[in-house]
Amino acid sequence: MYLLNKQLKKRPKNLNLRSVKFPMSAIMSVGHRAAGLLLFLSLPYFIYLFQLSMANETEFMQIKAELQSPVIKLFFLIIIWAFAHHFFAGIRYFLLDVDIGIDKKWAQKTAALVMISGFIIFFIVSIFLFL
Amino acid sequence: MSYQAKGLQAWFFQRVTGLFMACYTLYVLWLVLSTEVVSYQIWLAWFSHPLMNAATGLFFIQLAVHAWVGMRDIVLDYMTNDTLRFLTLTFISFFLIMSSLETIRTLFLLSVNV
Repeated sequence: MYLLNKQLKKRPKNLNLRSVKFPMSAIMSVGHRAAGLLLFLSLPYFIYLFQLSMANETEFMQIKAELQSPVIKLFFLIIIWAFAHHFFAGIRYFLLDVDIGIDKKWAQKTAALVMISGFIIFFIVSIFLFL
Repeated sequence: MSYQAKGLQAWFFQRVTGLFMACYTLYVLWLVLSTEVVSYQIWLAWFSHPLMNAATGLFFIQLAVHAWVGMRDIVLDYMTNDTLRFLTLTFISFFLIMSSLETIRTLFLLSVNV
C-alpha cells in the first residue's frame, strides 16, 4: 500500500480545471461537500450554544438576544442554506441508491432541483430573518 | 468486516446516520415552528423528556460518525502529505469523540436534575 502510494505520487499532475466540464450534478456535489465541511467547522460553535442554553435562564436569554445581531443572523442564514443543501442532496443520494433518477438526463434535473430547493430555503429564511 | 467491505460499511453508516438525523432535525424544526415563544422552561422540558433526551444523545453520536466519514473522505482526497493527513485525522476523531461525549454529559445531567 505504501509503495503504491509512492508510485501514485510520481505521476504528473496536470489538472486544468478550465478543461473540465462541470455539469449541474458536479456543481451540486461540490456544494454538498462544501456544505458538509462548513457544517463540521461550525460544530464547535453549535455545541457551545447548546451547552450554554442548557446552563441557566440568564445564559439562555443572553443567547436569544445575541441571535438578534445581524452578523449572527447572516451566519445562521449561511449555515441553514448549507444544511438545506446537504439535506436535499442527501435525499437525492438516497433516491439514486434505489435507482430513482439514475439515468443521465434525470440525474441532471434532480441535481438542479436540489440547487433550486437550497436557494428557495435561503430566500425564505432570509426574508424571515431580515424583514 | 473484510478490507474490501470497508467502503460499503462507510456508505452504510453514512446512510443510516443521515436518515436518523434528517428525521430528528425535521422533528425539532416542527417543535420550534409550532411554538410561539421558546422560553427556557419549554427548552428544558423538550430536552429532558426521556425519549427526546435519548434521541438527542443518539443524534450527537450519529453526527460524530457521519462527520467522521465525510471529513475522512475530504482529508484523504485533498491532503497528500502523510504526516499532515495522520495528524488531521487524529485531531478530527478526538474532537468528534470529545464533543459528542461532552454533549451526552450535558444531556445526562439534564435528565437527572429536572
